[in-house]
Amino acid sequence: MSDTPLLLHARAAGRDILLPVSDLREVVAFAPVTPIPGGPPGIQGVVLHQGEFLPVLDWTAVEGCPARPEPAVAMAVLRPRLGLPLEGLIGTVEVPEEGWRDPAEGDPWAPIMAGLCQVGGRDLPLLDPDRLLALLHRLRRAR
Amino acid sequence: MDPSFDDVWAECEDLFGQARQTLATLKVPQPAHVIQASVNALFRATHTLKGMAGMLGFPRFSQAAHRMEDIFDLMRQGRLRSTDSLIETLESGIQALESGLADLRRGQPEPEDYLHAIRRRLGELEALARPTEGAVLDLTSLLDLSPEVLKALSDYERTRVTAVLLAGIPIHGIRVCLDLATFDDRLRALSEAAGAQGELISTLPLEALVDQEGLCFLLLLAAPVLDIQSLGVLPDEALEVIRLADPERVPASLRADPGPLAPPPVIKSPRPAASAAAPQDAEVLRLPAQRVDALEARLMAVAQVRDSASLVLRRIQDPGMDQSMAMMGEIEAGLLEVQKSLLQMRMVKVESLFLRIEPMVKALSRDMGKPVRLSFQGGDLELERSLLGRLTEPFLHLVRNALDHGLESPSEREAQGKAATGSLKISASQRGRNLRFDIRDDGRGFDLARIEARGLAMGLLREGQAHSSEDLHRLTLEPGFSTQERASQISGRGVGMDVVRAEVEGMGGEILISSEPRRGSLVRLSLPLSRAVVGCLKVRCGQQAFGIPLSHVLRVQASPVPLAGGSRVDVLGEDLPMESLQACLGLSEPAEGQRLLVVLRQQGATVDAGLEIALGVDEVVGRTELLLRSLPELAHAPGIMGGSLQEEGILWVLDPEAVMGLAMVSLMQRVAGV
Repeated sequence: MSDTPLLLHARAAGRDILLPVSDLREVVAFAPVTPIPGGPPGIQGVVLHQGEFLPVLDWTAVEGCPARPEPAVAMAVLRPRLGLPLEGLIGTVEVPEEGWRDPAEGDPWAPIMAGLCQVGGRDLPLLDPDRLLALLHRLRRAR
Repeated sequence: MDPSFDDVWAECEDLFGQARQTLATLKVPQPAHVIQASVNALFRATHTLKGMAGMLGFPRFSQAAHRMEDIFDLMRQGRLRSTDSLIETLESGIQALESGLADLRRGQPEPEDYLHAIRRRLGELEALARPTEGAVLDLTSLLDLSPEVLKALSDYERTRVTAVLLAGIPIHGIRVCLDLATFDDRLRALSEAAGAQGELISTLPLEALVDQEGLCFLLLLAAPVLDIQSLGVLPDEALEVIRLADPERVPASLRADPGPLAPPPVIKSPRPAASAAAPQDAEVLRLPAQRVDALEARLMAVAQVRDSASLVLRRIQDPGMDQSMAMMGEIEAGLLEVQKSLLQMRMVKVESLFLRIEPMVKALSRDMGKPVRLSFQGGDLELERSLLGRLTEPFLHLVRNALDHGLESPSEREAQGKAATGSLKISASQRGRNLRFDIRDDGRGFDLARIEARGLAMGLLREGQAHSSEDLHRLTLEPGFSTQERASQISGRGVGMDVVRAEVEGMGGEILISSEPRRGSLVRLSLPLSRAVVGCLKVRCGQQAFGIPLSHVLRVQASPVPLAGGSRVDVLGEDLPMESLQACLGLSEPAEGQRLLVVLRQQGATVDAGLEIALGVDEVVGRTELLLRSLPELAHAPGIMGGSLQEEGILWVLDPEAVMGLAMVSLMQRVAGV
């Protein structure tokens, strides 16, 4: 955990979120997503990224997300090759000295979070890409 | 004539109309880019005509169109110049095809040669465009090896042989005979030791001599000098070193003018004085694969810009934009060619792998006294070069296991009523987004009872639980299982299967084993293809275009009345089920039904066996060649094996086998009223 020195502070699915910069390939401008007929749940489609198809997360499949998220302006490309639509980019922050703590009980995002980080006096969810992928696999299995 | 082909006939007529018009434009002086765009259009038109004639069942027409396509291809490549005389010949050719098609439609039989009248002229044109002698330099014939062994060299290895000889470096042959039980490790060690002295060009399995036991290999090493001691060959490994090729034997004219090839990559060993004078201007590059990846990615980005520009031009809808649109078409064709060329750099025929396996099977068969009938299928398929190297070792394991533990001795076979000669079939086929290898023997199969007992003893299985045949076969792939229990103690496999599994899974593939007692075993390796050029039938459903690989398209036909999914259709006298493509993919079906049907057949299926199904689509656009990219695992959708970037967006390429499965499920649901 302590080897994540920098976090991306962004807005997605109506919430302020944090993402470990070390888990990002890059952040790119959002491009129209091509839906896949019969595509898996949790994936809204693909975009072409560096010549390959990049799956793009469908936030609406994540519990606790609004049914109609605001339009995305950017996309975080995660190392495991998954695109996360972002509604806004706020900046980067250093990992607080006190680290992070467990998500609040009942937080619907808990299954995809590494924990909560205090930034600017607010508790922000720090997303865990591995847990996000695990969620996608669970959604697929449940279909 | 079958009215269901009306659409196809009509499209053929359109294509002839376009071809005539385009040829007419070439009769007056035109800028170079217009000529190029016109020739590209003619090439595509004849290519489509060829495919359609094949679809309609006129092979001679298809051949004639293919010959015209070749001429346009030579023009595209700049090997034939557009002259008045050439255009006249081409006009005659197109006219001959067009009137031939009209005759066919009137029910007349196919002539022997549609292009008879211009045959001599076409021959002259082809000769004129033929590359000059020696344009492709290959010095492998200088290797002191039998033609059979030379045949096993891949294109890349031939290139390297030629390059090192031109660079003045001799090629040594290191022949060793290795013990069956340890050959993998020994071969690896020898390869490393040889590679440290120079460039290890190839490691070829060889047939062992009559008095030799074990597996023989020939290592081709390019090195100024060979230090035999540092190879670390063991006394019983029958080492033989041969000077396979001497650069002195390279003809002087070639040494002075090396043609398209060049000095090899840097070899760590010191070079002799002669190599200092080696030709430097012709070059063979060994590039990190990532560089080609990056180039492909850039190319894809350029294609995206091209698509955007094309859309903008279309929106302008100005007749004056025709020239710009033609240029865009030219860019599109050029980009596809470059993408295909890049892809070709990575690909190698599966036959290269088979050629390496064959001598080893012969050697094992002789050593073990087990005659075997070996057959290969699918050698023309291509796989990525990087996979070829990684597959060789797993294949060596699998083939050795099949012969060693799968096939019985001739006497044992005869006692069971089998032929004394065993059978080993290795086949490759493209299944959806995978390249599938089947290694099938007709031996004794796996002894599942003994595998279960061993699994229980090792704690890999639990007492009192039922273990399926699948579980038990899979158990043989467990690392602990193979290292602690030698295969000879279990009537089957074990040794090295974990290595095979690790290698195959490392390539993103999977391995499946099945067997039947006394009937034989099947080991199936499925490897994902990350990209490929696929010939497809382009169809449309609603706003979405799909590509259906032609390998599975049996026929396209139209129904006189619109059909809904679940109907039955008559296809060449066969009563087949029909399902809408939309229903297969979970999309909404057109309320008005569908008239166009694409009849799919399982790959490799015979007329009498195998699934056939008619797939309803809204529109058949035509044949096309697509650069297919696989979908990543996270985005995997049933029935879709990948996509291809097109001007109108991403075109999804269907996995025909999976679509047939989805269609059957959908049909059953209809019957069940679900």
